[in-house]
Amino acid sequence: MDQMRPMDLPNYFLADLPPEAVISPAMITEACQTLKRNRAQYLAGRTTEDLIEVLDRIGASWRRPDYGLRRFALEHGPAALRFSRQTLERGLDDFFSELTAENLKALVIQEVGHPQRLDGMAATASERARNRSASARGPALVAHITAGNIPNPALASMIFSLLARSAQFVKCGRGTSLLPRLFAHSIYEADSKLAACIELAEWPGGSVDFESALFAEAGCVTATGTDSTLDAIRQRLPVGTRFIAHGHRVSFGFIASPSATGATARRIARDAAADIAAWDQHGCLSPHVIYVEKNGAVAPEQFAALLAEELARQEIEMPRGNLELAESTTITLKRDFYRVRAAVCGDSGTEPETKLWCSEGSTAWTVVYEDDPLFHVSCLNRFIHVKCAANLADALHHAALFEGKVSTVALAAPEEQARELAITLSRWGVTRICPFGRMQRPPLGWRHDGQPPLAGLLTWTDWERSEDI
Amino acid sequence: MIATALARLAAMAYKLFAAVAVNQPCSVFRQNRMTTTLRQMAATVTAFIHSGDCREESFNEIACELFAFQFQHNRALQALCANRGQLSDSVSEWKRIPAVPASAFKECEMTTVPLSMRVAEFHSSGTSEQRPSRHFHSHDSLAVYESSLLHSFHSRLVAPEASIPTPIFLTPSPEVAPHSSLVHMLETIRRHYGMRSQVFFGAVGTNGSWELQFEKLFAALERAGPKTLFGTAFHFVHLLDRLAAENRRLPLPAGSLVIETGGYKGRSRVLQKEELHKALSVALGVSTNAIVCEYGMCELSSQAYDVSANGVRRFRFPPWVRFQIISPETGEETQENEPGLLRVCDLANIASALVVETGDLAIRDGDGFRLMGRAARVEPRGCSLMAS
Repeated sequence: MDQMRPMDLPNYFLADLPPEAVISPAMITEACQTLKRNRAQYLAGRTTEDLIEVLDRIGASWRRPDYGLRRFALEHGPAALRFSRQTLERGLDDFFSELTAENLKALVIQEVGHPQRLDGMAATASERARNRSASARGPALVAHITAGNIPNPALASMIFSLLARSAQFVKCGRGTSLLPRLFAHSIYEADSKLAACIELAEWPGGSVDFESALFAEAGCVTATGTDSTLDAIRQRLPVGTRFIAHGHRVSFGFIASPSATGATARRIARDAAADIAAWDQHGCLSPHVIYVEKNGAVAPEQFAALLAEELARQEIEMPRGNLELAESTTITLKRDFYRVRAAVCGDSGTEPETKLWCSEGSTAWTVVYEDDPLFHVSCLNRFIHVKCAANLADALHHAALFEGKVSTVALAAPEEQARELAITLSRWGVTRICPFGRMQRPPLGWRHDGQPPLAGLLTWTDWERSEDI
Repeated sequence: MIATALARLAAMAYKLFAAVAVNQPCSVFRQNRMTTTLRQMAATVTAFIHSGDCREESFNEIACELFAFQFQHNRALQALCANRGQLSDSVSEWKRIPAVPASAFKECEMTTVPLSMRVAEFHSSGTSEQRPSRHFHSHDSLAVYESSLLHSFHSRLVAPEASIPTPIFLTPSPEVAPHSSLVHMLETIRRHYGMRSQVFFGAVGTNGSWELQFEKLFAALERAGPKTLFGTAFHFVHLLDRLAAENRRLPLPAGSLVIETGGYKGRSRVLQKEELHKALSVALGVSTNAIVCEYGMCELSSQAYDVSANGVRRFRFPPWVRFQIISPETGEETQENEPGLLRVCDLANIASALVVETGDLAIRDGDGFRLMGRAARVEPRGCSLMAS
């Protein structure tokens, strides 16, 4: 496995076939039926403990620098996915650091309340007291419709489906299957029978014939994508097929004024830069805006300058990936716009005071500061808006257009204030609050869009026993 | 650090002076020499336009002189230059003149013309824009604009002394569209050839959109004799749609010209250029070679027309305009055949800023360029919402 090229991966999954290979709806139907047979034979009877042991080994392998599939990913990933090797490496490390037996056990308890619940009938103490027990398991087949080339959502879905004892068909967009494929190969290496319950294929989104064949066989469909993509899928699902949808989201940061003091501000800037640099800001957990509360020791504008220094440092340690023409054009035109504002506007009183910091001779990173709290969606690729706000309520008021569309808020606030701010954010509909530096490093059991990660796949059987036994 | 401090100072100076007196020469930046007037600058550029001089040295000399003039008299330009570290009015090469993004014409008064001397104000079109670009003209700068456009029109399309095929302009008339540089251009052409005034067949709709007066237009198109049909891409789509709805064709007599200037601005469905030309060729009975494309924008004072060879259309600017294709990633000039942003140095832009970053993507092709249009919308690579 040391010197593998893409063609050197064994043709184990449909996605391993060369691009010229033609797949058909009939092949998808047949693959799904095979997956379900294999699941009955090789997966349905496995214990949770046993599966956790396999997944733990896989996580440990991926964390080893000399692991063949990891080296393969780092060698071929940058060209295929347009992230730098360092960005990819950090992203994979962040993800696989979470894939441990301890975290998997905690996940199962969090989701179903008992470690053996997925193995058969099990009862917690309070259930036992009431003569009740229950079991839970996933459908025979789960179909995953993945989007984009950030692997985390797809890999997490694959892990959860294994724990749910479901066979799975992972559909990737054109050119984005590399990491899910390599992950599936690592499952194959660890336990080939489990891999016999997994299929991966690539086809362009919206290929109705292929997707209809897949949807007809699946008991549950998970999908990540734009609202219109999700809507199109939802309309084509057979009645009774469960649908777990993750729409595109935005995230932002909020720094309460007592946190914005000298050394703390520098540390927050360093952590925020790591959040912006992770996956080149393409994830829904990446910040678009960082709000700095006014009247702190460090002014919002000073924080923006610190952030610029830290992004420059990130660029040296973990360069941004190469962009397509349209992406760099967008950044250049946006920079031009803000540069004009920084130079000549603001005097009219109608435009906010504006400042711009950016990398020289490249579009690697950009910080735009505006003395105005209106939420701006970033053009991504390490382009961040820093804005001042009177307080959190002011920030949320100016982000009203995105109410219900915010995934994560990174919060820097003193402990005594943090609880109150967290409650305000949760009431506003934010589904995750975390410290700066951890935006793109959620724990394995985090609730994506506020939904339970594993429990959503499951169907329960309640067993109420008679009193007289 | 010093450059940054100076840039801040310049920005402050801009704000200070802008509040007091608009666009008067700023003594802080004035060099110790005779100040050129706009009139003198206009005379120099007009002479260059008429000279046919294509030499790089001549162009460079005038460009550097014009930049010095604009730096001294255009406060917004001064501030932008300062922000980019250009703190004096002196440059040795036109490629070193800081380029002004087209968006600057929206954000501020990018002009050397004082309020009292403004005789025309051209606005960019587009229904989705919050505020248009504005390009101000004095009598002198307007005369340069007219010289430039007529000279290009004569060189590419109809010789000055020849008779022009009957003009049929699809835009509204100058009376109802006084802020359109395109309409002013067509009006200038009309006046030059001494045509009657009924050459405009467009109207302005209640919501400000441009519409066609089909009855009058069809009557004019059916009259004998070759025509010069000039309109924007969306005008032609409206025309094609109407002809299709009425199931008719309107073959133009031999010797007719169709001139299309790009841009849909959300006012009609968008057709690929080739598709549009093919449809026009069928509906109007002209060969696609008789269809010429014009590239112009409110922020510039000169136009490029395309020439077609082997099925490839290539725009060329007149000799008083040079361009660069700039990599949006590095900010450096691209290699031949490598796409990038079109940056135009237009000497006819005497009263504003001569080097403009158009925001359009193009590829250099010899002494011309192929237009790729505005940057296509980027597909998201991850699961984050993208800026529109």
